[in-house]
Amino acid sequence: MPDLIDGSENVSVHGIFNWILLLAIFSVITVIGNYLGYKHPISDSLVGMGILSLITLIGVWLERELPFNVSSILYISIIGIIVAFPGMPTSKIVLYYVSKIELLSIVTVFLAYVGIGMGKSWDEFKALGWKAIVVTVLVIAATYYGAAIVAHIVLVLSGVPAV
Amino acid sequence: MLCGECVLIPNKDNDGQVEHIYREKTDKRILRKNPWRDYRLHGTVLILVIIAELIGTQKIPLTGDVAITIMPLIYTIVLGLVFYLAKPITWIQRKQARIAEGAMMLFIGVLIAKLAVSSGQSISLIFDMGPALILQELGHLATILILPVALLLGFKEEAIGMTNSIGREPNVAVVVDKYGFNSPESRGVFAIFIIGTVIGTIFISFLVTFSLSFLPLHPYAFAMASGVGSASMNAAAIGPTLAAFPGLESQIEAFAGFSNLLSFCVGIYIVIFVALPLTERMYKWLEPKIGKDSVVKKEDE
Repeated sequence: MPDLIDGSENVSVHGIFNWILLLAIFSVITVIGNYLGYKHPISDSLVGMGILSLITLIGVWLERELPFNVSSILYISIIGIIVAFPGMPTSKIVLYYVSKIELLSIVTVFLAYVGIGMGKSWDEFKALGWKAIVVTVLVIAATYYGAAIVAHIVLVLSGVPAV
Repeated sequence: MLCGECVLIPNKDNDGQVEHIYREKTDKRILRKNPWRDYRLHGTVLILVIIAELIGTQKIPLTGDVAITIMPLIYTIVLGLVFYLAKPITWIQRKQARIAEGAMMLFIGVLIAKLAVSSGQSISLIFDMGPALILQELGHLATILILPVALLLGFKEEAIGMTNSIGREPNVAVVVDKYGFNSPESRGVFAIFIIGTVIGTIFISFLVTFSLSFLPLHPYAFAMASGVGSASMNAAAIGPTLAAFPGLESQIEAFAGFSNLLSFCVGIYIVIFVALPLTERMYKWLEPKIGKDSVVKKEDE
């Protein structure tokens, strides 16, 4: 792993340039999928992906620049919530364009990369086998019953009539 | 190129705080190798996406209410895998897979940004809808009860990825971001995600039909529980619920819809701050007691 040994390379202009280009490629593919799948206008979707890419870029940059051991997911979430918060001057425009991007369009492209990446560790996946199916079924059931029972208790305690 | 799997062991000593060891590796890949230049990879992804969207969502009806829904996202992940594994396709190799991994870590951000914008938009709704809707999100922590079962079945760190949540898209993003793509935890959450996408919809419709006749719970509780998983799982769960409580259609749909929205936006923060640390702690405590031999053969060690 010669490309890993020398450790501390700072995020250079070069790195940010790479991020921007990757996000641009991702945006274009997503917009095409979004158009084919949901018929959202291409120009509006491009602006929407531009906004999401910018939020992402600021988030990953902050993670590497700020001294806290915090994942970029949190920075991205905070920025995203703030710019869309009702009453913020940005909220109208952000909501208009970002609503043109379907979550499923993003996920569809994202999972194409995941599929190709997973190929590399396919043998480990195969080893999980039928046991993983058992766990999946139990996990779904546990989530369903957990949510239903907690909701039931809260509803009864707060006196919502059972109709 | 030999070391795909060995750099990703989270630091076990610092109590839940996993250092982003893999982050440097991802950064290296993004910084050094000009990943945008690999037109083979991105071109292939574009073609996969076009194929997937053109096929579109397919519904295969089984019985009156129950249907299997196959969405484009299933086609892309399966086709991506097939493209890597298929011998005749020579332009998607290990190098492309490594770039895909590195790029994917960045693209998680876009997914999260979209969810965050939806959260910001609906933040007032969340306060209006009352405590039941928010607290039932904590009910999702029940998945951690499955951890002992996963351990008894012979899973190791995979179990952390498998049982911290219901393993939908946002949960996958959180786990991969925390542990890195090539970690056992991520393999666990991917397994739950893929199996859940394939059988989740049909399983939950049976589960709901069964539960409605046996459990005397509040109709709104059933409604909120319908929203725990993906949109198609929500749709599958809501059908039998609506049929069981005639006259409450609009309330049930509203509660299910908000609950589904919350599962996706608020749910991920519960996973980050509560579910994952809790699952890790449970794992550390339980694994030495009931852990079996790993189902996955260790290659290095």
